[in-house]
Order: sequence, then C-alpha cells, then structure tokens
Amino acid sequence: MSEKKVIETIDLKMTYKAGKVAVHALRGVDLVVEQGEFVAIMGPSGCGKSTLLHILGCMLKPSSGKVVIDGEDVSNMSEQERTEVRRRKIGFVFQKFNLFPTLTAEGNIRLAERIRKNGRLPDSGGVSMSEILKLLNLEGRLHHKPAEMSGGEQQRVAIARALVNHPAIVLADEPTGNLDSEHSQIVLNMFKQLNEKFGQTILMITHSEEAASVASRILRMRDGRILQ
Amino acid sequence: MEYELILANITQRPMRTFISIVGVALGVVLVVVVVGLSRGMLKEQGRRNSNFGAEIIFRRPGALSFTSTSGLSMPVQYGPKLAQIEGVSMVSPLGQYLKQSSQGFGVELVDGIDFPTYVRVSSIRIVEGGPFETEMDVIVDRVYSRNKNVVVGSKVEIFGRQFRVVGIYEPEVGARIKMQLDTMQRLLGAKERCSYFYVKCVDPALQEEVAKRINAQLPGNQIIFVRDIPVLYERGSKALNTFLQVVIAVALIVSTLVILLSMYTTIIERTREIGILKSLGASRSFIVRTIQQEAILISILGVLLGYLLAVAVREVVMQYTALIVDIELKWMLYAGLIGIISGFLGSLYPALRAAAQDPIKAISYE
Repeated sequence: MSEKKVIETIDLKMTYKAGKVAVHALRGVDLVVEQGEFVAIMGPSGCGKSTLLHILGCMLKPSSGKVVIDGEDVSNMSEQERTEVRRRKIGFVFQKFNLFPTLTAEGNIRLAERIRKNGRLPDSGGVSMSEILKLLNLEGRLHHKPAEMSGGEQQRVAIARALVNHPAIVLADEPTGNLDSEHSQIVLNMFKQLNEKFGQTILMITHSEEAASVASRILRMRDGRILQ
Repeated sequence: MEYELILANITQRPMRTFISIVGVALGVVLVVVVVGLSRGMLKEQGRRNSNFGAEIIFRRPGALSFTSTSGLSMPVQYGPKLAQIEGVSMVSPLGQYLKQSSQGFGVELVDGIDFPTYVRVSSIRIVEGGPFETEMDVIVDRVYSRNKNVVVGSKVEIFGRQFRVVGIYEPEVGARIKMQLDTMQRLLGAKERCSYFYVKCVDPALQEEVAKRINAQLPGNQIIFVRDIPVLYERGSKALNTFLQVVIAVALIVSTLVILLSMYTTIIERTREIGILKSLGASRSFIVRTIQQEAILISILGVLLGYLLAVAVREVVMQYTALIVDIELKWMLYAGLIGIISGFLGSLYPALRAAAQDPIKAISYE
C-alpha cells in the first residue's frame, strides 16, 4: 500500500450554534487515510460521523483545526475553492442515491463528467469508464431512469457517477442504509473490488457492522472524537 | 451547455412549462399586435391621405392626428382667400369625423366633402352608382364595399342615423366613407366650418413657393405638404410613442414576472437536485447558467408561440374589424428580444438564490 496521505486532519473541531447553545460536533479529530485504504467509520447517531464526512467532502468549513485533502490544505479555503477541490478530488455516494430523476443512468454519469470538464479539468486518467460499468454490471441499464431501477442498481449508478472523474477519495455516507441485505452485499462487494482491483481510496460511514467488515480499517467515533 | 439536463427539467413539468411559454408569448403578442395596430392604422391613413391630387393641406395649428367632432374648427371662409393666392389652382374644404366602427370594435374615419371641388382636386371617380342625391347619402371606396359587404343601396349608420350608400368610388383616398360637408356641418353643429383645406397648385414643382405665399397672406395656420404625410403618420405622435413605450414596459414586466414565478417554484422544487449538483462540484456559475439557459429556452419557445399567435390575431382582427395590424419585422425582433430579456431577468434571482444554497441543507431537503 502506498504511504501517500489522501486525508489528514489535525485537531479538527466543529461547533454549531443551536439557538444560544453551542453544539460540539467534533472535538479534535486526528485522522490519516492513506492512498488505497478502505476505511469505515462507525459510531452512534450524533457522534459526529456526518459532520466529519461533510468537512472531508469540502461541503462544510471546520471551526478550527487542519484538513488536508490529497495534499491541499482546505481548512481555510473559500467556498469557491472548496467546490473546486470537491470537483477534482472527491466522489460522493449517498444513502439516498441522490440521482437526477429526470436523467437516465448514463445522463447522471455524464453530468458529473461534464461538471468536471466545465471546470476545464483534464482527464485525470485512472480506471476507464467501461471498466467501471463492467465492474458495476451496469452496461445494460444505462438508458434507464432511476424510477425504472432497483435501489441496488441506483446505488451502483451513484457509485459509477462518483468514480467517473477518478477522484482521490470516495466518501460514502451509509451507502447500504436504504438497501435490503442482498443488494447491500452486492454494493459492498463492489466497493471492495474497487478498492482491491483499482486501489480506489474509500472512506465509508456506517451503522452496520456487516458493512464495516468489508473495510480494511474500522474507526469508531463517540462524542465528536475518534476512539483509539 | 447542459442540454440534456435542461430539456429533462423542461419536460418534467409540462403544464408549468406550457404556462410559462404562454406567459412569454402573451407579452410578445401584446407588443407585436398593439404596435402593429397603431402603426398599421397610421400608415394606412397616411398612405390614403397622401394618395391625392393636391399638394398642400392648410389647417389650424396642431399635430397631424386623427380628429373627432372638435376637428371642424376651420372657417370655410378661408377657401376663397386661398383660391386667390398666386399659384393656387383649386381649393377644396374637408371635414373629418371619427366614428365607432359599424362592427362595434375599432373606429372609422368619415370625410365630409364638397363634392364638386373634391372631385376636381382629387382623382376620385364614381365607378358604381352615382354622386350624392340627398343629404343622407354617402359614397364608399371599393375596399370598404368589399370588406363590409356594402353595395349601392345599402345602409350605414353614422351619427346614429342611417345613411344610404349611393356610389362606390376609386381610388382609395382619405376616409373610406364620404358624406357631404354640409350634412356633416349640420349634424355636428359646426356651420360654415371644416377640418382643413386641400390646396392644388398650378405647378406642383412650385408648391414650396405657394406655401410661402399662403403663410405670408394667411399667417398663424399650419401648412403640410401632402408628400410628407406618410412620414408624419409613420412617425406618429408623441403621445402614441409614449403609449407604445408603456406597452413594451408592461409586456416586459408581465413576461419577467411569469418567468420569475415559474423559475422560483422550480428551484424550490429542485432544492435537492441543486444540492446534488453542488456535491458533484458544480460551481455557482454552472448552476446559474443552467437555470438561466432553461429560462431562456422557455422564453425562446414563448417568443415563437407569440409570433404565431400575433399572426393569428392579426388575421382575425383584420377579418372581423375595421382595424389594420401592420406587423413589422423590426417590431417582431424587438418583441422577441423583450421575451428573451424577460427570461434572463426573470431567472436571475431564482438562479442566484439556487447557487447560494447551502449544499448540506439542499441535499437533505425533502
């Protein structure tokens, strides 16, 4: 495994204001994810998993601490700069798939591709689209809209969309949370293959021990901290 | 351009898209038809008023415009004085009255003429029937006869009275209906008065010298060269131009509001999708551009529908009323531009609002 750090956080803190009350969602998270790792983060609701994921996905700015994504310190970046990093380096997979209902599977994948090209970013190489589609067994479903697909198929399209721009890291937020056990297993196997065959770095948050078991490393969070 | 996404969004809510298209189309119709109506009537009137054998119009000061009963303000006693001026060949007084169209919508101009002098000054001739026999007779031109299905012997209503059509004349000159000036004076209570005089010169090439002499001998009145009438009518009056500007502003506001409302509800409905775009790394400008392109596409469709509707309205109006709608390419382009600008303006706020959304809140929007 390479020792290049794809994610590094140092004393990462996040405090929300809920009315007059300060909610400490993250209380000093130190985390390193190296290239090619498949990391699962587990923990009870409200422990700060989603907040951490949003900060790592450059959708949220931390209150303090340092976040480095694939060599770029995003801690104090503007929204525009964080959007740029997200476009270049991050692929998201959500619990609710979050596909465009009006577009076909191919349309959803191509949209992500065009957003990247719109940012005038060159092809970053890596796994080819045809290989991804073959692995995800989506070749025959490209012209279907989300409503015409099962939850498992939709999630596979979402994974393909996340991978199309060859991100430095895929952030998966409860990717099997809306799937039955059969489809959950299929999706998890695909994550595992992506990681093992193509060296894709993946960070997944989950409540499920079974889902976490496919990862190469499991971290547990409680009260805004990663337990050692 | 995100054509696939934009087209998918447009077809997602066909009724809303259709209503937005119709909203823009109505703005286009408003501009094209109202401007066409105003300019069509003016141009037609200018053309017919210039299609005359005389060279000069002599009238009271005031802008050249449609007149009503108050138009009979010039004493006919000016006639003999004009006739004595060197270079004047003939003079004919004319009264003008604006009446409600017999079809209830629109207006029609009626000329009161002194038939013997009018025939000599103008080039009209009676082609069917004959000249006035009684004071309740009128003559009409060929177009009026055809459009209104009026023949010799038919009745037309003017001043709330029935007049008999006794003759059909050619070519088209001035108002399409002509009655005797004496009758018009009596019915309007304007004895010995007319609206203006047509003055025919001995030598048309010397009309400017004749005009100078008229001005010198009968100062304080207005002299208009018949050759300038089409331009004067086309230029329109200040009040009309202001009215047209108001129509354009109303059309722009209506179309903009329709697009604003449509796109605003669209982005509320698509909050989650905007969140997805943001999670994929779409920049603010990408989101703004996508929403604006959708609105502009709707506007373009609205403009095209508006053109079709405007042409249809023109056909119906000209078929069933006395009004003339002159659709000019220039004004169609203006109307199209207004439609597209409304798409741009109307979608600007919703697009900026969408682009400014918090990605986390947007993506968890239910």
